[in-house]
Amino acid sequence: MDQFLQAVINGIMLGGFYAAMMLGFSVIWGVMGVINLAHGEFIMVGAYATWVLNKEFGWEPFYALAVVLPLMFVVGYIIQLVLINRIVDQPHLVSLLVTFGLAIIIANAMKLAYSADPRLTETGFAGAWELGNVTVPVTKTVILGVALVIMGSLWAFLHRTKTGKSIRAAAQNKQAARIVGIDIKKIYALTFGICIAITGAAGTLISPTQAVFPFMGPPLTLRAFAITALAGLGSIPGALMGGMVLGLVESLIGIYVSGIGTNLAIVSAFVLLVVVLVTRPQGLFGGLRPMEEAQPL
Amino acid sequence: MKQRWFNAFALMVVLTLVAAACGDDSDAGTEGQETTAAPATTAAPATTAAPATTAAGTTAAPAIAGTIRIGAAVSETGKYAREGKDTRQGYNLWADWVNEEYGGVNIGGDRYEVEIVMYDDEGDPDTAANLVEKLITEDQVDFLLGPYSSGLTMSTSAIAEKYGVVMVEGNGASETIFERGFKNIFAVLTPAGNYTQSALKLLSDQGAKTVVVAYEDTAFPTSVANGALKWAEEYGMEVLGVETYPKDVADVSAIMTKFRDMEPDVFVGGGHFNDALLFVRAAKELNFTPDAMVITVGPSNPKFVEEVGTDANYILGPTQWEGTMSWEDNWFGTAEDYYNRYSDKWGEAPTYQAAESTATALALMAAIEQAGTLDMDAVRQALFDLDIMTFYGPINFDDTGKNAAKPMGAIQIQDGVINVVAPVEAAVTDLQFPMAPWTAR
Repeated sequence: MDQFLQAVINGIMLGGFYAAMMLGFSVIWGVMGVINLAHGEFIMVGAYATWVLNKEFGWEPFYALAVVLPLMFVVGYIIQLVLINRIVDQPHLVSLLVTFGLAIIIANAMKLAYSADPRLTETGFAGAWELGNVTVPVTKTVILGVALVIMGSLWAFLHRTKTGKSIRAAAQNKQAARIVGIDIKKIYALTFGICIAITGAAGTLISPTQAVFPFMGPPLTLRAFAITALAGLGSIPGALMGGMVLGLVESLIGIYVSGIGTNLAIVSAFVLLVVVLVTRPQGLFGGLRPMEEAQPL
Repeated sequence: MKQRWFNAFALMVVLTLVAAACGDDSDAGTEGQETTAAPATTAAPATTAAPATTAAGTTAAPAIAGTIRIGAAVSETGKYAREGKDTRQGYNLWADWVNEEYGGVNIGGDRYEVEIVMYDDEGDPDTAANLVEKLITEDQVDFLLGPYSSGLTMSTSAIAEKYGVVMVEGNGASETIFERGFKNIFAVLTPAGNYTQSALKLLSDQGAKTVVVAYEDTAFPTSVANGALKWAEEYGMEVLGVETYPKDVADVSAIMTKFRDMEPDVFVGGGHFNDALLFVRAAKELNFTPDAMVITVGPSNPKFVEEVGTDANYILGPTQWEGTMSWEDNWFGTAEDYYNRYSDKWGEAPTYQAAESTATALALMAAIEQAGTLDMDAVRQALFDLDIMTFYGPINFDDTGKNAAKPMGAIQIQDGVINVVAPVEAAVTDLQFPMAPWTAR
């Protein structure tokens, strides 16, 4: 029982991080139909920014969010204006190639700047609470908390503010949005900026628990892709559930299958993905728009 | 509508395949980019270093009779980018030393410069194999040096064997490399199965009775783990649990949770540098405190202490080589001399991966000089006959190409310093045992 509880706690912690990590990917896809293959690389950049603030200036990694969020927003906004806006109406393949190229450039630029040495940040939120025989790691609890705050804020922004509603309008019907006076290019740049800011923040969250290195991105992009397909495009409740499902599946199978558990967990996550794609291609939760309309124009 | 749906779906399938095929290396786009390290005397494409070093080569006293071209595929990007850098620096240090100080490889009185042609294998076994094939068929190198990691050595040595080109390596320790009856692969390092031997012996002498083992399911960690199981049995320790995890592991919490509940005396982690960081962080988070932790690759690298700080203390690691060991040769001097030379050149302390890379090239050079010719069969025979002492330790290849002569050491991090604690002959301090709780560092 203790082991089961521990597995569930580990899984929820991991799932919360997955949910926050994939949100930017999912919303960008949902709003503009761009599959951002450089997603993991933006996480990596956020993680490095945190690491620099932590190692050079002694900042607490979680406080680095105050810098990482605005910094990554600006980065995202500019990339959208100069690059993504030019390809947003083109077929999927073009955006795949452009973001794939972007991923290569970012990863290798970071390697030149910071070498390939794996890094970790040092957080003051360390240690663990013991509840009976179950251990709750402090760092991961804080990560989960921040992840939930990020998700809640994004949900409130999209549903409660005028700008947020404009973004959802642009996602649902670009032409109609344009007719009612929404500046699509500006909305897209804003969306990309916000999503990259969240993605960079995920890098901050990951930095105290996992090695940060220039080539850490692709496995994260792959997981973001899997959860998006599970959850539906741009759906925040879906992201949370999808992240939790993947986290719990990985954690429970990892604990209960001996020997090859951790291997099998990752396989099963993708088996789950295939099952969902075949039986419910719009994702489990729907979202900003159904997946079959991901390329409306 | 249907058509569009289908298009989107098809694209997703393609994308997933691309991502899966590239694995953790899909960002590495530098394939085919040449990074020639040694002074480029021949028509080597595109290096900025070429003009300066040609002049340096001519300052050596004896006339240069020719150039020996040596090829290697070594990771510059991908998961092994860090260890690949050590490997490159180790090879390059040797090449620069041969050309600028030693005066060239001595073949029957004639002096030959060396040139290393290196490509980025991106940490991918298939890419590495393709690049080695290119090195042999297109670049027509005379000999090969190994890549970093056992998995890549497995794939590239098969190509070397196919073309009958000698490959000397120092970074593929898995026994499986040498169980295929190949005649062209030679390794200067102690095989992976023996990695944990001296550490486990030391711990069992201290009274440790139970062991758990976690390892990445690739060639090298598997060999390390199988060796650890064998040595644990040999020293009368009970194995409570064995777990594997994949190369792209993101979280080892599940494994560490399970192990914590088993309350073992010793944790053995087989993996590469990243995994060592993950193990330590997960153990600390879950408050898993065995009496000793033995982890491969990470702890012996000074960067490990930089990253995990005081959490690194008490952790044990196998080591192929340390600058404090008592080996000495006529080329680089003592292990300490090599340590200083490397530090001066690259601005960082040598890891054992760097030292064994230099030793790899040194072994090839010694064999060429003993053969007195560049003839492949003669050099191969000279390698089989080789019996030399180097700054890295004794080198004497057995029939399979393994270096049977060199013992493996164990280090422990003590107050942030990497100290050799085993074997007894090489130890500089005593083992600190058992490990202090994570909160009392």
